[in-house]
Amino acid sequence: MQEEKFDYAKAVKELEEIAAKVEDPATKLDDIDALVTRSNALLKACRAYLRSVKERIDKLEVE
Amino acid sequence: MAKEYWALSELLARVKEGVEDAFPDRYWVKAEIGSWSPRANGHCYLNLTESEKGKPVADIRAMIWKWNYPQLKDFFEQETGQKLQAGITVLVRVQVHFSEMFGMSLFIDDIDPAFTVGEQALAKKKAIEKLTAGGYLEMQQELVLPRLPYRLAVITSKTAAGYGDFRRHLLENEAGYAFQLDLYEALMQGDQAPASIISALLEAQERPYDAILILRGGGSEMDLACFDDYDLAVAIAICPVPVVTAIGHDRDFHIADLVANRYVKTPTALADLFLDAYAAEDALLDGLETRVRRAVAERLNAMARKVDALAQRLRFTAGGRIDRELAALALKEALIKSSDPRKILSMGYALVTGPEGKVLKGVAPLAVGDRIGVRFADGAVKATVEDVESDARSGRA
Repeated sequence: MQEEKFDYAKAVKELEEIAAKVEDPATKLDDIDALVTRSNALLKACRAYLRSVKERIDKLEVE
Repeated sequence: MAKEYWALSELLARVKEGVEDAFPDRYWVKAEIGSWSPRANGHCYLNLTESEKGKPVADIRAMIWKWNYPQLKDFFEQETGQKLQAGITVLVRVQVHFSEMFGMSLFIDDIDPAFTVGEQALAKKKAIEKLTAGGYLEMQQELVLPRLPYRLAVITSKTAAGYGDFRRHLLENEAGYAFQLDLYEALMQGDQAPASIISALLEAQERPYDAILILRGGGSEMDLACFDDYDLAVAIAICPVPVVTAIGHDRDFHIADLVANRYVKTPTALADLFLDAYAAEDALLDGLETRVRRAVAERLNAMARKVDALAQRLRFTAGGRIDRELAALALKEALIKSSDPRKILSMGYALVTGPEGKVLKGVAPLAVGDRIGVRFADGAVKATVEDVESDARSGRA
């Protein structure tokens, strides 16, 4: 499943880095466009992850 | 050879007399309730027992008459928050009674709830001391609930109203967060509850759950002693998965709560614990989104401000240039005006044009007989050249 490969904590970390970069006046305007596009994609994936059904663990059979 | 004998009833009547003479008053007695059976007729029949090191050393039948029973039961349960039932230690006031038909029994007419509360507090205190000494209180505290708990095992009674509330609240959340929820059924009240919960706990920890929840979820508020059970407390403490309890009792904490990773009061609060973890993540994401948006907006605003400033500067600079151009133009105009030939002509000079009508600046192109035009300020004449004299240095017409 695609969700299993998604590393939520890593995505949030990247989002934090993007926010810091966008806030940095030294970042070029050309780069900001790419950063915003990336952050939108990450936000979407993270929000979906919170609502996604992950792979089940199977409960023990009750004898 | 007839022996002397008593009729049984006579003997027992004497026994009765002797017993009642020996115990004429009512006495406060400490005992454990062995069996307990309230009857349809309103009376309550029970056994009072005493054990030493797990072995019974005393046992007697007792009863509470129906005219005492309801008040006595209500009073006890209200004061102790505990059900009056088998297994608890009580201090009761008794009257010793002997019946020729039924033998010895004790009539109970009063009970001291404070004593039971004290006994239980003492037992609880001892259990807590033992758990503390064994290092059991900190064990669950060392476990960390995952940032996003997803796989949850719930130990509860399937029929408990609280389980339905919890399930609904957790799974039908408006935000749409998803969870895996597995039910492990156990008895949640009575003598058998601790063993039943321990067995469910052992079963659940075989799987990689993020948390194991012990949810009482309803039932009698009276029957909570099982959550003070020492063995259950140890089982919770040594569980390798974080255990969250929701036993739901405001009056007091329970030992199960004390050893668990954390505890809440109600099934709804239990669901909120997990929903809040997800909502906090959502809020974090919103915050990051806002940060990015704001930074971009600020950047764009700054750019807009820069463009405005530039435009203004440009307008200002361009304006200066135009003014300068206008001034220069005015100067030229003045110059042109001042060099208007008519102005010169009016001063007594004349303008001479050659045969082709071109203005002549000297005599050189002219020959005798050429026709020339002479322009004055107020008119012109045509003339013919009769003689040409050239000055050596400059020619003048």
